[in-house]
Amino acid sequence: MDLKELKALLRLMEGNDVEELEVEEGGRRVRIRRRPVPGRVPPAAMNPAPPAATSVAATASPLSPMAAAAETAGLIPVESPMVGTFYRAPAPGAEPYVKEGDLIQKGTVICIIEAMKLMNEIEAEVKGRIARILAENGQPVEFGQRLFLIEPA
Amino acid sequence: MFSKVLIANRGEIAVRIIRACRELGIRTVAVFSQADADAMHVQLADESVCIGPPPPAQSYLQVPRIISAAEITGAEAIHPGYGFLAENPQFAEVCENCGIHFIGPPASSIQMMGDKAAARRLAARSGVPILPGTEHPVRELQEARRAAREIGYPVIIKASAGGGGKGMRVVINPEALESALATAAAEAAAAFGDAGVYLERFLSDPRHVEFQILIDAHGQGIHLGERDCSIQRRHQKLVEEAPSPALTDSLRQAMGQAALSVARAAGYRNAGTVEFLLDERGDFFFMEMNTRIQVEHPVTEMVTGIDLVKAQFRIAAGEPLPIAQEEVRLAGHSLECRINAEDPDRFLPSPGKVTNFRPPGGPGVRVDSHAYVGYIVPPYYDSLLAKLIVHGRDRDEAIARMQRALDEMLIQGVQTTIPFHQKVLRHPDFLAGKTSTRFLERLAQEQ
Repeated sequence: MDLKELKALLRLMEGNDVEELEVEEGGRRVRIRRRPVPGRVPPAAMNPAPPAATSVAATASPLSPMAAAAETAGLIPVESPMVGTFYRAPAPGAEPYVKEGDLIQKGTVICIIEAMKLMNEIEAEVKGRIARILAENGQPVEFGQRLFLIEPA
Repeated sequence: MFSKVLIANRGEIAVRIIRACRELGIRTVAVFSQADADAMHVQLADESVCIGPPPPAQSYLQVPRIISAAEITGAEAIHPGYGFLAENPQFAEVCENCGIHFIGPPASSIQMMGDKAAARRLAARSGVPILPGTEHPVRELQEARRAAREIGYPVIIKASAGGGGKGMRVVINPEALESALATAAAEAAAAFGDAGVYLERFLSDPRHVEFQILIDAHGQGIHLGERDCSIQRRHQKLVEEAPSPALTDSLRQAMGQAALSVARAAGYRNAGTVEFLLDERGDFFFMEMNTRIQVEHPVTEMVTGIDLVKAQFRIAAGEPLPIAQEEVRLAGHSLECRINAEDPDRFLPSPGKVTNFRPPGGPGVRVDSHAYVGYIVPPYYDSLLAKLIVHGRDRDEAIARMQRALDEMLIQGVQTTIPFHQKVLRHPDFLAGKTSTRFLERLAQEQ
């Protein structure tokens, strides 16, 4: 098993939230255990309880965990590297950087996260297709929050 | 009063701050690392924001993420707790620049007191005693003799350029000074390439006595008495008490006023603690000032009846102090034991899952903790798991209560220092109030 295959296995595990994986092939066995990221607080927890008008919207998945895993199999999540506000376009009213289905390269800017009045361009780390957009324009996001799912090319 | 506050901390102090906010009607925002997603402070807060992976440098010390978390949740103020960013003047300044209230003193006071040498000079200028010593290295014998006479024997000779015990000599009387200087200087030259040495008064077995002060935005200041924190291991406090067994009323008054003088000279506001060393003769010396709420603040709360964290919020919101100095009363006696998730004999950290947690209760017992059954103590942070605090009508009752509470307290799944505290609380020197900074050293030698 070479490094490329190991990396692919790791991505597979991440994309499916798999904690431990053991693979036996040709008499050699590899066991990989990820330190699991404990259940993150979903975006809904950042909303104040009273139903005051806010720009925050929850993106709780309606799928069951099993179905969700099947849906995200093989997809690579883009996780927020910072705390801030997620924007899909460079400016209000402008075209979004990407839509679902778009092809992207490594380094393509896919969104902006605004933090402390600075606009941070977030670039894709892999080449592929935008499979799902998980955050909404103007939504506050926390560290590690999933923003996109990318189908690698 | 603020309507929403972000707590830039974790563990028991984050829980403590959230409790004060709850009682004041302030909404709370917790920040947490990925290792703390199930932590109690996250569960108790109204909102929470993940700010990074487990290591503190990537989470609880991440200023931009914490400020950003305050912005996206609309928090008007940040309480920094203790440790982490609590005494980081740049952080306090960033908060001020971003229009976020920092629950604590002005950045300039934090900066000033963070420079320990400058703090000593400030204390001296305020007429507060500092440990007598030479400001600069001594160059020759006559100068040294003069300085040592002024300082008062015993003196300690220390290498200007170093530490770690090298180039140090304790001189009990003037006859020994000349040869001690020569050997200390030679050792210093050999170890650090610099023969410079300075002199300082040597305290053979001092007590660590600190004073809690509060200063409001209108310039009113009070002290809330002292805490004796002499029981320390490697400069980590383990047991604290209020009042100190060594203080008389007049000494308390003198030290309390000295503490306020130093704080005022630093332009201080909000809660702070001034630390002194107290020697056997009853002479006290300023050591440093801590510009934050401290771990051991509960013992002061127990004897004064004043909620210090709420006081912090009230002062930050511009309210005047609730009482004047003459109205401050110290009633009864309070003890605190810091229960750490550590091997009780070797004090090595013991992370893991808490499988059983049965805190003690009953009259005069308080437990400040973030632990719960099923809580996984992460390996990334300090090992403080719970603070066990008792109050009694006098020191004897407080001791009996603490012994009872320690025996009642059950924590399983991780090792804790409960057995260590049980030993301390039964030691004849502790019972006699004979505590000093070498207490634990003597205890270790007895084993």
